[in-house]
Amino acid sequence: MKYNKKEGFFYLTPVLILVAILYGMIIWNLVASFTAWEGMKATWKFAGFQNFIHLIQLRRFWVNVKNNFIWLFVFILPTTILGYILAYLFTNLRRIEKVFRQIFLFPMALSFIVSGTLWAWMYDPSSGLINSLLRIFGINTMNFGWIANPKGAIFCMIFTAFWQYLGFTFVIYSGAIRGISFDMVEAASMDGAGHFRILFQIIFPNLGHGTLICTTMLAITTMKVFDLVWIMTQGGPGITTEVLPYLMYRLTFSQHNVGMGAAVSIVILVLSGGIVIPYSLWAIKKWVR
Amino acid sequence: MKDVKFKTTSIIVIVILTFIWLLPIYAMLNTSIKSQEEVARQEFLKFPKKIQAQNFIVAFKALKRGLANSIIITIPATFFCIFLGSLAGFYLTMFDFRQSRIVFFSIVVATFLPYQIVLIPITRFLSTLNLLNSYGGLILIYVILNVPMGTLITATFFMKLPVDFQEAASIEGCTSFTFYRKILIPLSIPGLVSAAILVFVQIYNEFLLAIALTRGPKVKPVMPILAELRGSQIAQWNIQMAGALFVAFIPLAVFIVLSEFFVSGLMAGYGKE
Repeated sequence: MKYNKKEGFFYLTPVLILVAILYGMIIWNLVASFTAWEGMKATWKFAGFQNFIHLIQLRRFWVNVKNNFIWLFVFILPTTILGYILAYLFTNLRRIEKVFRQIFLFPMALSFIVSGTLWAWMYDPSSGLINSLLRIFGINTMNFGWIANPKGAIFCMIFTAFWQYLGFTFVIYSGAIRGISFDMVEAASMDGAGHFRILFQIIFPNLGHGTLICTTMLAITTMKVFDLVWIMTQGGPGITTEVLPYLMYRLTFSQHNVGMGAAVSIVILVLSGGIVIPYSLWAIKKWVR
Repeated sequence: MKDVKFKTTSIIVIVILTFIWLLPIYAMLNTSIKSQEEVARQEFLKFPKKIQAQNFIVAFKALKRGLANSIIITIPATFFCIFLGSLAGFYLTMFDFRQSRIVFFSIVVATFLPYQIVLIPITRFLSTLNLLNSYGGLILIYVILNVPMGTLITATFFMKLPVDFQEAASIEGCTSFTFYRKILIPLSIPGLVSAAILVFVQIYNEFLLAIALTRGPKVKPVMPILAELRGSQIAQWNIQMAGALFVAFIPLAVFIVLSEFFVSGLMAGYGKE
């Protein structure tokens, strides 16, 4: 016997109002992206698709889109796969798992601003730790430049995010592995299947939901990565490490071109909606039966 | 035989990874207590001769206002997120509500969308309410953006309670609010702590809104101030590292002491039970 719903509607109302404000703002933003709004004061002069047309003519926009996709692929794949392998390695080492979980998970508690400061120093071309560490092994990377290298900078940043998020995929996968039955694995191992086969042909297909969670959450992280760009490179060298969220901020707050900024955020909305909505449709099954 | 070999390989891989994961933190700690000359020598693994507490004093002076601001903003915002979120979570999990599918869907989507898509309306919204550059404004915005997360995590924990509890209470004539206050909340303390940690760390570490919605040092949270410190102390890596450690102290302490809760919050918020 559940409680009467009328009696308790006040429980839901505050959150409903707050969420309604949030959705209201998204719609507001959509409208703003069709205006020729420049400067601080709101100008509701409609300009149709003008902002979007300007945007797709901007080379900078396409560099940003490309970088966002580099982030998407280069960040997600290694983080997911290594997190999974790590979770698998620990299946035989349950006793020490808890201690090591801390080690891989703690970077997640750090802000991108903190980890960005730390890694900007690690990569520093003149006095960074990575250069001097490699020198010990006789590898001279002084000229490589790391985050000063136009080609390599974005990958250096992705590695920072990888360092930070590996613990997340590890924890999600180790929870997922615990949920499956190991009879199949034992049977396969009896039949002489190697670890590689067990890993990718027997266990992995059974962890669909773990993979979905990891890839979705990492994908949405790549759409948010603004702090790391701000603190590590400011989009540089040139604009080679800029991503859409950074462009959106620059257009809106440095160039005060609010209409264009809103247009970029609509592009972000479309991309992240494509990531979040399928996930949400799947995830609500957990709460609503 | 094969198993032993596998175990050894696993341990070797794990040890190497552990080394890579801890090295930056070790170097950070080590550098933060060195003098400028010692840093310039680039012997990052060597201990300093004398611990330079001076670095932390410099960093503290620059960051203390920001840190106080962050705490003033984060604690009430976290409280409201969890309180309002737990009310909604209670309603959605324990009441017969046909639209709960739609409500849940809009809440899940709201939880994960990036902040950039509402950044411009937020600035307009706050300036209309005359709350730009104020504690109240930042708290309000953080509550709006994080209450969906608070709802989802608390709802997940509430669902784990046996249905009998609520049925028995209901038959005994216990009103819904008494049930919420006297039974549900006390039984769900671990879940609420998990949710609170996750929301707290998220708000404390947030940067985009903190920098976009504040001007000057009056209410500016600590993350933008750390970014400014990095700009003003170029190549003073020891000061930068001291500052970064100083800022990271609260979330790291919370994480180390309450890591079990952090993990179960992650599982509840993202994983499937």
